[in-house]
Amino acid sequence: MSGQEFWNFTVVGLVSGSIYAVIALGYTLVYGVLQLINFAHSEVFMLGSMGGLFMARALLPAGSPSVVQSVGIMVAGLVVGALSGGAAAFALERTAYRPLRRRGAPKLAYLISAIGASLFASNLAGKEFGRQDISLSPVFDYNHVVFTIFGAAVRALDLVIIGVGLLMLLFLDRLVAVTRLGQSIRAVAQDAETASLMGVNVERVIITTFVLGGLLAGAGGFLYAAKFSASYNMGFLPGITAFSAAVLGGIGNVRGAVLGGLLLGLVKSYSTKLIGAGYVDVVGFLALVLVLLIRPSGLLGERLGRAA
Amino acid sequence: MQIRRTTAVVAATVVTASLTLAACGSSKKSTGTANGNNGGSKKTLEIGFQGPLSVNSPQLGLNAEYGINVAIAEANAKGDLPYTLKIKTSDDQGSPDQGPTAAKALIDDPNVIAVVGPMFSGATKASEPGYTQANLLSVTPSATNPALTTLGFTTFFRLIPNDNNQGKGAADYIAKVLNAKKVFSLDDKSDYGTGLSTALEAELKTDGVAVTHDGINPTKDYSAEASKIISAKPDVLYYSGYYQDFSLLAKALRGAGFKGTLFSGDGSNDDQYISGAGKTVAEGTYLSCGCGDANSDPKAADFVKAVAADNSGAKPGTYSGEAYDATNSIISVLKGLGASPTRQQVVDAYKSVDYTGLTKEVKYDSTGEIEGNAIYIYQVKDGVRTVLGTTGDLIK
Repeated sequence: MSGQEFWNFTVVGLVSGSIYAVIALGYTLVYGVLQLINFAHSEVFMLGSMGGLFMARALLPAGSPSVVQSVGIMVAGLVVGALSGGAAAFALERTAYRPLRRRGAPKLAYLISAIGASLFASNLAGKEFGRQDISLSPVFDYNHVVFTIFGAAVRALDLVIIGVGLLMLLFLDRLVAVTRLGQSIRAVAQDAETASLMGVNVERVIITTFVLGGLLAGAGGFLYAAKFSASYNMGFLPGITAFSAAVLGGIGNVRGAVLGGLLLGLVKSYSTKLIGAGYVDVVGFLALVLVLLIRPSGLLGERLGRAA
Repeated sequence: MQIRRTTAVVAATVVTASLTLAACGSSKKSTGTANGNNGGSKKTLEIGFQGPLSVNSPQLGLNAEYGINVAIAEANAKGDLPYTLKIKTSDDQGSPDQGPTAAKALIDDPNVIAVVGPMFSGATKASEPGYTQANLLSVTPSATNPALTTLGFTTFFRLIPNDNNQGKGAADYIAKVLNAKKVFSLDDKSDYGTGLSTALEAELKTDGVAVTHDGINPTKDYSAEASKIISAKPDVLYYSGYYQDFSLLAKALRGAGFKGTLFSGDGSNDDQYISGAGKTVAEGTYLSCGCGDANSDPKAADFVKAVAADNSGAKPGTYSGEAYDATNSIISVLKGLGASPTRQQVVDAYKSVDYTGLTKEVKYDSTGEIEGNAIYIYQVKDGVRTVLGTTGDLIK
């Protein structure tokens, strides 16, 4: 791999890595609070993506949009995507998890419920939105080369994805670390029973956590759809990759999810070149297994409960 | 392959649920077209159709269904069969895992006397043992993996030249007309994709063209692969796979600044490729196919009209004509078999079928391969797939 190629693959890896990281946060937050792996999170991502995509398509003018319009459409897509994701996560928590929690169901029941909800959501989307890929015509010149690093082009949309991704990650990190809401999330993660004795409304923390994860996944979904395309079954691969990213970084750990997402993005990108595209998933999971052998609780450890 | 297994477990669960949904969907669909029911006294027999109607490049399945609907509607309107024909669709999602289940749905229905399909090579390979065992005729309009006719399937016929022909034709065109020195051959690791890329690469090497090979499982994120292709600096990229994935790959390649020629095979030869990739990206793309194009063939004007009439305004696409011919050739055989043909009789009679169809003369050799092997080259011009001609005419 020449120098320029290396940087090319680095940019590519960081772009998909930022999206993995944004999705991974949803897994990690929910796990931190409930010790539950929310396997339906990939469908939250899909539904958010659809919401943002349809919004942007509705706003897109017939001709090529002006700069102001472009920015407006992107922001509207992100916001509506986030809101759709948040709404989907809210509905998911209320229908698939809360009834189980009320009845004190065993952990396994949640898993089955998650898979069921996931199947339902993706097939419903397939029925409603069709089974073909849905794409968005460019909102602005995606491929405009903004700058180059060591000869590798960094294009407009890539910069937007990395930028928006990082902003959201920073926002969430601060939210968990310094706000009152973050404090209660961490309290519940540490010890739900004690937290409730201290006056923390556990149910509210749980639903907020789900919605937070949904907001991020939905916005990430819109970016994903703008860069690639959307379809009713789009959630599966990014979802499973983001889940491994969360485990890689240390599930329950916000910064770990970000690190894991970016690392997996990079590993997959490099191995496309070095080993072959057919093996990227193998390499990704191999990396995960190796890390877990050496550090069973992930790179940064499981620690949503502690101050970030 | 640990991952594959976990994926398989999840996939299996997904599949069970989606099957239930698919079952509801297809039963609804099958009633829609056979309404040319003349006289309630006649009994009804069914021609099965197995193909992708969801998940993997479903447009190709729909295209075939359009053709079958027309053929059945015409036969019923003529009324010279002693029974009414009906289509029974079975969605295999284009996937080998779903093939046997989809085939079983047709096999277990005693009214199904012949099947058009399966459409994709992987699904065909997985489904044919069932059809052979049930003595149920299966005529594929589209599954082009060369090995399919060598696996001992006794009721399998292929109405399209296989990928040894397509790979060779496309390779010769690339070498002799496009004068490429370096080709990047990428396949989707499916039975169809690997069969086509193997045939293509062998002929390219014979023609003295340098070949880089890679395989990638279908994904939405082709950006890393695009960087890899660009850094190999090929004159031509040939993708052996289906339109849904090819359009994303093409978008990623052009987005990352790929200047070479895009080329793909029959699996991508559909207008959905152009709408998926966008007109700018798709412009100039070459496509090879063992199939002609009904929309631009003057002989097929009536067929184009009939497709629109029987399928709420749809245009015929890749394999519509082949599926129409497959159905009509089956019907031509049924005419000689009386009021209650058995599956065995249909298969036996079909072996010696000789029917002049819309796209070709339907006549098979002893292995079930179609006689005649014209490969057409298409190019996207001004956003429209245009037939340039057969490789025989184009390569001088």
